[in-house]
Amino acid sequence: MIKSGMVTAKTTSFGILARIGKWTYLIFFLIITVIPLIWLLISSFKTNFEFETQAFALPKVWQWNNYAKAIQMAGLLRLFLNSIIVAACTTVVNLLVASLAAFAIAREQFRFRETLLNIILAGILVPIIALMVPYFRIIITLKLYDTLPALILTYSAINIPISVFLIHGFMKSIPKELEEAALIDGCSFGQRFTRIIFPLTKTGLVTAGTFVFIYCWNEFIYALLLTTSKSTRTLQLGISFFRSQFVVDYTGMLAAIVITMIPTIVVYIFLHEKIVSGLTAGAVKG
Amino acid sequence: MRNNIIWALVLGFIQIPLAAGMAMILSRRPKGWKTLRTLYFLPNVISQVALAMMWLALYNAEFGIINSLLKAVGLENWTHNWLGEMETALPAVLIQQLFYIGYFMIIILAARMGIPDSYYEAAEIDGANILMQEIHITIPMLRAILITTMSLALAYGMRHFESTYLMTKGGPAHSTSVMGIILYRNLGALHYGKANAIGTILVIIGGTVIAFIRWFFGRKESASEATQ
Repeated sequence: MIKSGMVTAKTTSFGILARIGKWTYLIFFLIITVIPLIWLLISSFKTNFEFETQAFALPKVWQWNNYAKAIQMAGLLRLFLNSIIVAACTTVVNLLVASLAAFAIAREQFRFRETLLNIILAGILVPIIALMVPYFRIIITLKLYDTLPALILTYSAINIPISVFLIHGFMKSIPKELEEAALIDGCSFGQRFTRIIFPLTKTGLVTAGTFVFIYCWNEFIYALLLTTSKSTRTLQLGISFFRSQFVVDYTGMLAAIVITMIPTIVVYIFLHEKIVSGLTAGAVKG
Repeated sequence: MRNNIIWALVLGFIQIPLAAGMAMILSRRPKGWKTLRTLYFLPNVISQVALAMMWLALYNAEFGIINSLLKAVGLENWTHNWLGEMETALPAVLIQQLFYIGYFMIIILAARMGIPDSYYEAAEIDGANILMQEIHITIPMLRAILITTMSLALAYGMRHFESTYLMTKGGPAHSTSVMGIILYRNLGALHYGKANAIGTILVIIGGTVIAFIRWFFGRKESASEATQ
C-alpha cells in the first residue's frame, strides 16, 4: 500500500518538480562547498603565469615544485610543530582539570553543586572574543606574553566548560553501584577516580579530547592576540601571514594553504563518523 | 554594530532555514546521502583561516575565479573588486560564511532522523505530499532544535570576528567592521576600558538575544497548547 502510494507521488508533476528542486539544491551546495577546494588544489600546481591567465585550464606541467618552495618559504615545519605542541599540551591539561571537576560534580554531594555546574556550563555561551582583555591582561601579568604556555593555558581554560559538560554527561551514566562496591573493597577517593571512573569514561574523554584538539588546531584569535614573534607562531596564525610572505608567488601560497588543510582533512576522512556523532551529542542538549 | 545585527539576522534567518532544508532532503536518504553529508560538512573541519585565505583568492579582482567566470560568460560589467568595494564587501564576506551550512545541518539532521518514519507513512496514506509532510510534521517536531540552532546562529552573528578580520580587516572604510574587530583595535591601542566595554556589551547582547528567543518561542508554545 505505502509503496504504491510513493510511486504515484513520484510520477505526478509535483513529484517531478520536487525531485528537480531537490537535486538542484543538493548540487548547488556541493558546488559551493567542494569546487573552491578543488580549484585551490589545481591552482596550487600551476605556474603563476598560468594561474593569472588561464583560470579554468589544468596546469600543463604539474608544478610539484610549488610545494617544496612553500614548505621552505613559509617555515611550515616550525608552524606545525608549534601547533602540535600547543594542541597536545592543551588537551592533556584541559582533560585533567575538566575530568576531575566533572568527577566531583557528578559523584560527590556538596552544597551549591548544581549552581557550580550551571556556572561552569554558562561559560559555553559566553562569546570568547569578549574575553580578550582579561586574558590579555592575565597573560601579561604572568609574564607569559609571546610564549607557547600562554596559549596552552588560555586554550585549556576556554575549553573547560565544554569538556566538563561532555565528561560530566558520561560520568553521570556510570552506575553508582560500581563505586559503592569499590568503596566496600576499600578504595580511597583518589583510587575510585583513577581505577573506576576514569577508565569507564574513556569514550567521553576521547570525545572531549577530540573537541579540544580540533579547537586548538584551528584557533586564531588568541594566537593573534597573545603571540607576536615568528618562533611562537601557530599554524593558523602562520597562514594569515602567507599573504605578506608570498608577495608575488601566488601559487606558492595556495600550495602552502593546501598543505595546512591536509592533516585535518585526513583526520576527518578517517574519523568523520565519530566527529559527527560527537558533535550532535554535544549540541542536542546545548 | 549594525553589521553585527546583519550578521546575526543572516545567520539566524537565512542560514538556518537553508540548513534545515538540506537536513530535510538528506533525511529522506537520497542516493549517496552519506557521502553528501560528509562533503557538506567538510568545510567545517577546515580552519576558518585557511578558508578565508582561499576565498581571498576566489574573490581576487584580477585572477579570482569568480571574476574569471563572469568574464567567461560575457558578464564583464558584473565583475567587481569584491572585497575592495564599499557595496560588495559586506555581501561578499557574508556569503563566504552563509553557505557553509554543514554544522547546523548535521545537528538538525540528527534530530530529524529521530522522528519515527511511521508519522510520515501515516501522512502519506492520508494523501499529504512531501512538502506538506515536512511543513506539518518535521517543523513542529523539530521546533526545539530549530530554536536552539537559531539562538546559536544569532550568537555567532554577534561574536563574529575571524573571517572578516582575515578577509577585509573591517574595511573598506569600516563597511564590514564588526564589534569584535573594534574590540581588537581598541585592545591593540591599549584602550582597555573601551575594549572591555565592548566585550561587556557583547556578553549582554548575546545573553539577551538567547533569553529573548527562548521566551518568545516558549510563549508561543504555551499559547498553542492553550488553544488545543
